[in-house]
Amino acid sequence: MAAATKLLKKSLGAFTQIQQCRSNANLSASTSVGQRNELFNQEQRRQRDAVGRIEKIEVRYLGLPEDVTLIMNNNISTPFNCAQHLSEGHCKRSALALVDGSVPWDMHRPLQESCTLQLLNFNISEPHVVNKAFWRTCSFMLGAALQRAFRQEANLQLHSFPGPNIKSGSFVHDIVLGVQNWVPTKAEMRAISAEMVKLAAQDLRIERLEVDHELAKEMFKDSRYKSEQLPSIAQQNQSRVTLYRLGEHIDISRGPMVASTRFLGKCTVSAAHKLANEGPSSAFYRIQGVALPIGFALNHLAYGLLEQRAQKLNSARMPNEPFEEQRQMQLS
Amino acid sequence: MLRTVICDLARLRLSGSTSPAAVLVTQVREKGHLSRPRLRNPYWFIRKERTQTDDLVTGENRSFIKEVVHDTYGKPALIKGIQTYEQKQLIKTPVAPTDIEPWTPAVRRCGLIARKIGQYPLWLKNGERVRTTLLQVVDNHVVKYIPPGEYTPAQRPRVKHLDRYGCVLVGAESTNPALLTKEYCGIFRDSGVMPTKNLARFIVSPQAALAPGTPLNVGHFRVGEFVDVRGKTVDHGFQGVVKRHGFKGMPASHGVTKTHRRPGNIGGGGEKGRVWPGTKMPGHMGNRWRIIKGLRIWRINTKYNVMWVQGSAVPGSTNGLVYIYDTVLPLRKPKEAPPFPTLYETEDDAPEDIWYDQVHNFKDETITYKPE
Repeated sequence: MAAATKLLKKSLGAFTQIQQCRSNANLSASTSVGQRNELFNQEQRRQRDAVGRIEKIEVRYLGLPEDVTLIMNNNISTPFNCAQHLSEGHCKRSALALVDGSVPWDMHRPLQESCTLQLLNFNISEPHVVNKAFWRTCSFMLGAALQRAFRQEANLQLHSFPGPNIKSGSFVHDIVLGVQNWVPTKAEMRAISAEMVKLAAQDLRIERLEVDHELAKEMFKDSRYKSEQLPSIAQQNQSRVTLYRLGEHIDISRGPMVASTRFLGKCTVSAAHKLANEGPSSAFYRIQGVALPIGFALNHLAYGLLEQRAQKLNSARMPNEPFEEQRQMQLS
Repeated sequence: MLRTVICDLARLRLSGSTSPAAVLVTQVREKGHLSRPRLRNPYWFIRKERTQTDDLVTGENRSFIKEVVHDTYGKPALIKGIQTYEQKQLIKTPVAPTDIEPWTPAVRRCGLIARKIGQYPLWLKNGERVRTTLLQVVDNHVVKYIPPGEYTPAQRPRVKHLDRYGCVLVGAESTNPALLTKEYCGIFRDSGVMPTKNLARFIVSPQAALAPGTPLNVGHFRVGEFVDVRGKTVDHGFQGVVKRHGFKGMPASHGVTKTHRRPGNIGGGGEKGRVWPGTKMPGHMGNRWRIIKGLRIWRINTKYNVMWVQGSAVPGSTNGLVYIYDTVLPLRKPKEAPPFPTLYETEDDAPEDIWYDQVHNFKDETITYKPE
């Protein structure tokens, strides 16, 4: 038990943080994370170069202050670039884009044809699409935060995160730890929440990349669980896999994410439930949290109720149970 | 406090090489403190009220949160004349602890937090009229008891042998916790008492310790006994010597020129020919904590938790907070045991109005005198 409780790194001020950054940098350059990022960068550059002759598309922006038509570059310009033509406020406020009135589109994903564009933020009257994207991004960020928070001895492996279900009360990330008896203390939970807040403060852009099944296999060859999931994911998506990157953390996800980590406001990682044992010495854990987007102030009483609700075990599909592909299609 | 003003700047510039003694300086004395007391709390003080933001909560959720508050603390109710909550999880019929040590005159009891609600005359049975001030005990509950070893306040009160006494934290006037900060509500978390607007510490002997959650009512004091009342005096602002120190001033006429309410002479001459420190002069008056000692309780009303205390000199304005203690005056201390550690009320207990023997009850027949 004593060994299990010392799994999280203690942050002892700026000096230790700088040391950690340096050691992280050293590690990533030589380990799988570094290689993964290199492959990601290469593929990004290759896709950009593959565009060839730049063609123009007409993007009809609908919204405030007025409806305008923008002439943008096909397969290069993103909704974020359209927002840059409008104002800085549009860039900062827009979390997600809506193409042709119905297709949610990442802010930093290149547009592929002439279309109508709406820029969505959290204060619109029908925020369901943005809310789902936000919840999904929170799960994704939780994965990044867990990578940073756990020590090497914990043998952390990220498994996956199920589709967003805001009504369940929490966002979820499933992990495999190298211990079977980890019971998190309040301080450890707060440390993970602090990592989430640090990610938000860094304002990291969330980049999307669609890659071939083969390249994805190469990138995730060190991760056992991702390698197991890739064939079924690729099969559903015509042998293409969608990857998202946040800083140095890369993960597989289907749906749109919000533009950047800065949209995370108040956040609490509320619970870590043990699901099942995995092998002789590892176990599945479900890490749950609750968050609000920036700009939403809530009194401590109401937020306390949300935190209490988020502590209950989330009933989303378990990672250790047989994978029902159709249900995953519906939920994601 | 002392500012030096260089009078002749021109000469200073030209005479750069001459000695400084040639330059004329004037000493200007300033008072060295702010005009009115400005409160700067220490950094470790917990902030009480939250900055009110527009919580973007739907109507449904708002009523849900209200429901949760009512489930935790009880429905809002008018208890003893104060709008408060039912406080379901507290001791409804508080039972007095069975192992209380007997009261001795040396033992210090807890006090109460009250509001000054007005003044009224009472008549004694010999016809004498007595001016009284009404103090209403507003929804007091014990929040915490700190035993003697652990009670080490940062600002030590002027009590001899403080390490022998404990501290009872009392809260008054319950409020909606959503309006307060999370840290302030944390003070009430252990005891389960609903967060209150006002808190007070009372230094008590360990024998007079009270359990968290105990309600405190006006029956804690008895009629005929004496109390000390502490309150913040009315802020009169900058006042002259006549109002501030009761100087007589000068005549309004008979040739008096331009001196009607001035202090007049402020010192003598001779060897100590200066204005002495502490000389009474105009300045800020009021907004200070003052304790008025030895006030007799003439009457108590248990239905509305009101006590009538002697006199009209209770510090503060109407509806101001006051803190009531057992008196420290040796000749007015009680000889019999008061309710110790406090009065634990039962449903069919005390009568509604308790009058002191000497006081004429309004419901009795008028006082008549036989002509002599």
